[in-house]
Amino acid sequence: MMPEASPTPATLQVYRYDASADVLRMIVGDLSTPIPPTDLVERAREAMRLRSFVCHTVTDYHDVLGDEVCFIPRGDHCDIVSIHTNGWRRHHGDHRRSLLDILNDLAAAVARGRLHFLDDNEVEAERSAGKELLAYAITDSTSLAAARYAVDLVLKNLKLSDDSRERVILSVSEATTNMLVHGGGGGMMALRALDDRLRVVVTDAGSGLNFFNWIEAPKSSAVSMGYGYKIILENLEQVYLHTGTKGTTLILDRTFDERPDNHVAH
Amino acid sequence: MLHTRVDKGVAPIIYLEGEVDLDCIETLRWVVSDAVRGSDQAVLDFAGVRFIDSSGAGIFVRLCLDLRAQGIQLKARNLSPAVDDVFGMLKVRELVGEGAFIEPQPQN
Repeated sequence: MMPEASPTPATLQVYRYDASADVLRMIVGDLSTPIPPTDLVERAREAMRLRSFVCHTVTDYHDVLGDEVCFIPRGDHCDIVSIHTNGWRRHHGDHRRSLLDILNDLAAAVARGRLHFLDDNEVEAERSAGKELLAYAITDSTSLAAARYAVDLVLKNLKLSDDSRERVILSVSEATTNMLVHGGGGGMMALRALDDRLRVVVTDAGSGLNFFNWIEAPKSSAVSMGYGYKIILENLEQVYLHTGTKGTTLILDRTFDERPDNHVAH
Repeated sequence: MLHTRVDKGVAPIIYLEGEVDLDCIETLRWVVSDAVRGSDQAVLDFAGVRFIDSSGAGIFVRLCLDLRAQGIQLKARNLSPAVDDVFGMLKVRELVGEGAFIEPQPQN
């Protein structure tokens, strides 16, 4: 078992190997690679050659250490997702999800092509794509419900089924709650319409998404138990994440049930 | 916004109406703690809940398990469709056990 005082209960790192330039870049996390960079590149090339998601998992005898390095080929590049729990495990009486479960969900979502990590340039393009329908400041927990009502009003004017509308509103609630609890205490939520989909953009200026806060015992006001991302990934078709020391942007996409007539994006 | 009403008795019943999210969890914790004082069981009635997210589901799990450790049984009943949907997604029944739910009686 890892020492309780460890400062890094888990890390998430994302790298991108650009085959055309033969360059390995960092997308999320620090520069320290889980295995030598030359090995990462070699395995990324192998995944691209196979055109197949490849995941290397290492667990110890007690199944406590749960390190994974996943290679996801995407056209001319390969994303590399490394999750490392440092052996962190829940204390007795901690009802939150296992950190390993959360990280495995993230890896599975990447493998299914549902979760994408964005670099600085990509996030700039994606968060301004389409037409803005709503922008709402999330300042405290009382603004969560107000934001949901505002989203509901906009969605009722679009051609989303009741089921789609409810799933988007639930996901907005999860994303904005995560932002309040883990993203520096507030930020912006925007709704945008693209040609074929509705997009929710949640942006904060916090210190970036990490799992360091998981080492803390659950506080009375933080009882999400790590399920927010599970709900988001189950209810939306595409999720894009950009995170760094200057903040986090989460982009959630839901395809329109029918093509809307009145808000085609340009 | 969440509204609560408590029917006191041997097994207090706490009726919930509205939305259960991060904003109301302290209120819910306080209402439940106050209601169960002197009792060894209580019921949360979710019939009037129009919206719940993982924070709301999380406070139910926390209350359920924390009170159980004190010898108090907290049970849920009349799950509205919104609650049933989210509890299903998050496998809440597996977390707290089937015994924490009062199943609806079959209609004749």
